[in-house]
Amino acid sequence: MEFLAWLESTAIANAIRTIPWLYPAIETGHYIGLSFLVGGIMLIDLRVLGFARRLPLKTMIGLLPFVWAGFIINVLTGSLLFIYGATNFGPNTAFQIKMGFMILAGLNAFAFDFTVRRSDGAWIALDHPPKVAKGFATLSLLFWLCVVTTGRWMAYL
Amino acid sequence: MAFLEWLQGTWVGVLVAESLWGYPLLETIHTIGMAMLVGALGLINLRVLGYKPDLPLVGTRDLLPLAWTGFTLNAISGSLLFTSDAVYFFESYTFRIKIGLIILGGINAALLGRRIFREAAGVSVVAVDAGTKMIAASSLVFWIAAVCAGRLIAYLP
Repeated sequence: MEFLAWLESTAIANAIRTIPWLYPAIETGHYIGLSFLVGGIMLIDLRVLGFARRLPLKTMIGLLPFVWAGFIINVLTGSLLFIYGATNFGPNTAFQIKMGFMILAGLNAFAFDFTVRRSDGAWIALDHPPKVAKGFATLSLLFWLCVVTTGRWMAYL
Repeated sequence: MAFLEWLQGTWVGVLVAESLWGYPLLETIHTIGMAMLVGALGLINLRVLGYKPDLPLVGTRDLLPLAWTGFTLNAISGSLLFTSDAVYFFESYTFRIKIGLIILGGINAALLGRRIFREAAGVSVVAVDAGTKMIAASSLVFWIAAVCAGRLIAYLP
């Protein structure tokens, strides 16, 4: 709690508090990042699950840099928003659950990546995702939708 | 104005405004619909601009169901959110700008579809010319601006 109070007293937090347009601007950036991150991940996961078959699987997995860009934008903007309201957000149940889902989504992505590497990724060129890949894609969709939902709910819990 | 006042006084408007879960639930759906719509249309527009040339142009049509699902989710959730405070939203310039941007984005999407989804034997028969690229580029601007305007309704007049 002391750490959270310290975060709130930093120059960054003060700047966000005193410059009126800064908070809305950062929040808007968080939504742009969300569109990149969740929009991109949805396209990849749905493609693994068999949606939009005319688009090559390999190329669609190649959208990952977009997902990473969105992720980085949102870690940065999210951290700034957190610093601004640390004592408020830290103990917030919805925020804690959101972080939990982000960890799950991250572990799931690592597991997916590990499976792809171990299998040589031959199924990507053949456009024939194994059941385990489809399982990871389904979990990924689920976890990210939960991240969005709990994030949205932070203002209300 | 009488209509807007009537609207926010209906049981729907009151339910969205005053129930514990109504507003956050609709906002969550609105955010997820946004990621679907912007993700799908964003990729189509980027493809027209030359990104990921491995994606067959005609095949990007497979992304339209995702875009339409997002659009439908957002038209419904957005209309319901509107009823909670109809007079306020209607009078908000930021809200009006957002609706204007969505109309422009919609017109652009229709124009683009007529150009790139004309096909013969699964291959696009229309070369992407400068005009088509202009439509795609302005679409990206309109949709991103719509996301920003939507987020800023809460902060700007």
